[in-house]
Amino acid sequence: MKAAGLLTACLLLAGAAGAQQLKWNFDKLAARASDSVDVSLEGPLLRLGTSFLSDTDKDQAKIKKLVGGLKGIYVRTFEFKKPGEYSQADVESFRAPLHGPEWQRIVGVHSNEEGETVEVYIRSEAKGIGGLAIIATEPKQLTLVNIVGPIDLDSLSELGGQFGIPEVEVDKKK
Amino acid sequence: MAPLEDELKAALRRSEPSPDFTERVLARVAAAPVRRAPRVSQMWVRWVAAMAATLLLAAGGLEYRHYQGERAKSQVLLAVRIAGSKLNKAQKKVQMMTHRSIS
Repeated sequence: MKAAGLLTACLLLAGAAGAQQLKWNFDKLAARASDSVDVSLEGPLLRLGTSFLSDTDKDQAKIKKLVGGLKGIYVRTFEFKKPGEYSQADVESFRAPLHGPEWQRIVGVHSNEEGETVEVYIRSEAKGIGGLAIIATEPKQLTLVNIVGPIDLDSLSELGGQFGIPEVEVDKKK
Repeated sequence: MAPLEDELKAALRRSEPSPDFTERVLARVAAAPVRRAPRVSQMWVRWVAAMAATLLLAAGGLEYRHYQGERAKSQVLLAVRIAGSKLNKAQKKVQMMTHRSIS
């Protein structure tokens, strides 16, 4: 009886954790993409990967702290041979689950010159940010990120600027 | 039928063993090699082999777990790199626009 109760509790917890992951369907894009990246880490595998991060390496220690409390990290990047291989309807299908009241769009930037957009959504919870979603489009690339769990956006952004990605100079013209 | 019966009777006729039959049987039994219990050294060899097999399995398991861990670590780094770079790009754009609008 106790075992049955414990099993039910575990299933409910697993369901609650899984409910936060965005249900995105990548089938259409995957068929059209020339290259793709698929990172899907959750539960024991995420904890194992985190435990392998170094405590002495400065960057890895920061990442370890950043991802330590997460429940899941899901990243998909699709690269296409030429522009126009994915439509706005495709992008809208990824936005659809983010229209719910628990999600809030905090940043949306668009560059006409480069044809790039980045949209950042957060999932608000009583204790703070409980999840993150990013939809980033470029003419020949589409990136979707879903992070489940409490995440420090400043630390994540700071780490993103350290991986050989050129820092964008702030315009100092006066 | 009679010749067949005669032949059978002749073939199955009771004959007494030779007088030294018992001695010969006992001598054969005494000469046969005896299956002895395994020696202590043989038991050690088996035990060491079993231990070696167990250690090999354990080492293989650890090695696989290490491989899984390194792979998961690479995936964590890749995911943070991609997510962080996109977030950083958005943040910088916002900073740039804010700076432009102020100046």
